[in-house]
Amino acid sequence: MNIFICGGCKNGKSSLAQELAVKLAQGEKHYYVATMIAGDEEDHLRIKRHVKDREGMGFETLEIGRGIAACLTEDAAESTFLIDSVTALLANEMFHDNITDAGALERCTKGLLQVLEHSENCVIVSDYLFADAVRFDALTEQYRCALAALHRTLANVCDTVAELCADTVVIHKGELPQ
Amino acid sequence: MDLIIGGAFQGKRDFAKRKYHLTNEQVFTCTAQGEPDFSVPCIAGLEEFVFYCVESGKDAVAIIKAHHAAWENSVLICNDIFCGVVPMEAENRAWREETGRLCAYLAGEAKEVYRLFCGLEQRLK
Repeated sequence: MNIFICGGCKNGKSSLAQELAVKLAQGEKHYYVATMIAGDEEDHLRIKRHVKDREGMGFETLEIGRGIAACLTEDAAESTFLIDSVTALLANEMFHDNITDAGALERCTKGLLQVLEHSENCVIVSDYLFADAVRFDALTEQYRCALAALHRTLANVCDTVAELCADTVVIHKGELPQ
Repeated sequence: MDLIIGGAFQGKRDFAKRKYHLTNEQVFTCTAQGEPDFSVPCIAGLEEFVFYCVESGKDAVAIIKAHHAAWENSVLICNDIFCGVVPMEAENRAWREETGRLCAYLAGEAKEVYRLFCGLEQRLK
């Protein structure tokens, strides 16, 4: 089963995703795929908080900032993957080595679809960045446009699509595992 | 009138074209340069019309109300720019609030209201 979780920041997306991944794994192997590449002290703190949050849940952590399909392990077909987050993955693929990589969207789409196809279960987390009254610069707008395209693809192929709003779950497609 | 709202790039226009069998020519896209053509079957990007109104000191809701007969059987699409962070600039704050007010008015007038999220529609009314 594949679940896509999207919402604003600090709304409980990661907690829900962890809970669902453990449920879907049913005691089998489950991987936490962290896509954030720590850039500063603030990032390290955020990562520490996330590591602490999932202590005792039985996740094996894989750190993959680019080329997401590399998370597919030997036992992928019987395993559950929690990918947190698409937002960071796309940023890493798009902005690196002081360039804006035009192939980022295609690589992310291909990689994520590959993970969905070759794993038993997948829970994918992303951020909703589309409701601001701001004229963004061209680069930010390019990023938002690509992120939205990824979201539409994921929402289309996943069994369940959930939006988190102030720690409340809104189901847009399918249902959550019982 | 049916109203379609949702964040940027969420698939509002594609949904409208699919649901109401509209061609590209039947969809008018607003700009920040003036008032839309209210006679078309579908007006998209109403937030840009609101931006024009804010910049030129006009009342967006009043203008829309004045053209009620022209759009009462149309499909209207607006970006829900009023859900994000309160902007720093006064003009953007006014833009955000006026767009919120316009959508509240239009949702009241609408027969059906849809919200698009990641390409998926949710019927609100």
